[in-house]
Amino acid sequence: MTIVARGLSVHRSGRSILYPTDIIIEPGERVGLVGASGSGKSTLGHALVDTLRARGQSVALVPQSPDDALDPLRSMQFHWREAERALGLDPDVVRRDALFEALRIEAGDMRKRPWAWSRGMQQRFVIALALLGAPDLLVMDEPTSALDPVVAAGTMNLLDAYLKERQTALLLITHDLGLAAARVSRLIVMDACHVVENAPTETVLATPQTSAAKALCAHRNWLELPC
Amino acid sequence: MASVLALFLRASVVLVCTALATFSLLWHAPGDPALAVAIARYQAVVPDAVLDQIRTEAGFNTGFWTAFASWLRPLLQGDFGQSAVTGRDVWPELVTAIGYTVPLAVLGLLIGLFFSIPLALLATKKPGGWLDRLAVALASIGAAIPAYWLGLLLILLFAVQLGWLPAMGARTSAHVILPALTLGLGVAASLTRILRSGLLEARGQSFLPAFRRRGISRRALERDHVAPHAAIPVITVFGLELAFLLEGAVMVEVIFARPGLGTFLVSAIEARDFPKVQAVVILTAVLFVTVNLLIDLLYRAIDPRIGERDA
Repeated sequence: MTIVARGLSVHRSGRSILYPTDIIIEPGERVGLVGASGSGKSTLGHALVDTLRARGQSVALVPQSPDDALDPLRSMQFHWREAERALGLDPDVVRRDALFEALRIEAGDMRKRPWAWSRGMQQRFVIALALLGAPDLLVMDEPTSALDPVVAAGTMNLLDAYLKERQTALLLITHDLGLAAARVSRLIVMDACHVVENAPTETVLATPQTSAAKALCAHRNWLELPC
Repeated sequence: MASVLALFLRASVVLVCTALATFSLLWHAPGDPALAVAIARYQAVVPDAVLDQIRTEAGFNTGFWTAFASWLRPLLQGDFGQSAVTGRDVWPELVTAIGYTVPLAVLGLLIGLFFSIPLALLATKKPGGWLDRLAVALASIGAAIPAYWLGLLLILLFAVQLGWLPAMGARTSAHVILPALTLGLGVAASLTRILRSGLLEARGQSFLPAFRRRGISRRALERDHVAPHAAIPVITVFGLELAFLLEGAVMVEVIFARPGLGTFLVSAIEARDFPKVQAVVILTAVLFVTVNLLIDLLYRAIDPRIGERDA
């Protein structure tokens, strides 16, 4: 199903922190949402998720850090069961193991709390939680900034394969153009709470139109990184 | 596991130190304890021979460490000795006193919870709203009012003006209401503040939005992810609250002329009845150490990181 959200905007304390924006994402499309820190990327991502959720569409968000997605006082098993219940699913070990297998989660002790797992595994667990409801759109907010480059690349590759198979659309929010360029077909560039560019990745990279996009592209050497 | 053992070890060290401190404080208190005992016992000036007899009886003339040992040994077997004044066993009297104080303290605590939980929940519905400000103001006033004054106000209102409730003694079960209310309102005041800030902090946790976006209902969120985090500071304060309860009970029992641990302690101090005072102090110390030990263990159940950091 094509994701369409028109006129997304966010105000806080009487100030616009996101000016009206339309987002359209085709099934299975991968879109990168890039911009400098504070340009409103996360705000747009969260607003999109909340709007779609309110409409009853199947969409999931992976926050920047596992600390923002897991309760340190609750076991991994608790998180999993809770997410299943919220989606109205019956407990199913096979489904869980399949997701864990796809994301190469070496299932640590599920009775342990998050901090007993490595951060890389915590993050994969959060991604698995997000995929549990087989969403049409997965929004990832700086999903790998908490991980070292090698683990980040590994996680993204596994996820890529999984999403491709299922025609799940991906909105990748990042300030790391290198990470985005290699994985998305379209780039949305944000600057000062506005969307300033929205074009195929190659177009933005080859002929950036705005100063914000130019500034991001000035760091082309990031593209050489493995992730 | 090792850290749990350390907890128990720490608890026993605290108890031994308390026993030693209590004993030496009373031992070194100014004035002749034997004379005080004699006056309490005979209501008259007595010849030296009688004083000597009292000294021997109580072991006052054997030196500090011998006296300490001869006091501690039976104590470890649960024998609190005999009153220096009446010569009767301390333990049965102490049990009677506890029988009055425990219901008072428990009721006070329940009243505290009864008022503070709804108040804190209401206050945090809209932080900074008028309800919140009212709750904070009430809690501040409640914490600032000393128990003896609040007690007198309650007596004036409910016993003197309205005549609804008895004010003095402990004849009927209705007699416990005013003292418990005096105690409970103070507890409610401090608990409300702790609960309010605990709830606000727990609701501000960075992971909660992600749970909401996962489709978890507000109710489940409050129950499973807010309440446990908000409980931690409350449990911490609970140990301190116990001190407040006991201290408050002493005061409140005296105001309301109610028998109990407070009255027991005050009259024992007045009569310089060493064994009784020591019994109360030791009992209080045991209670404290036990409750704090339980709190430490409870912490570890809620958040094992606390134990790990400790070790």
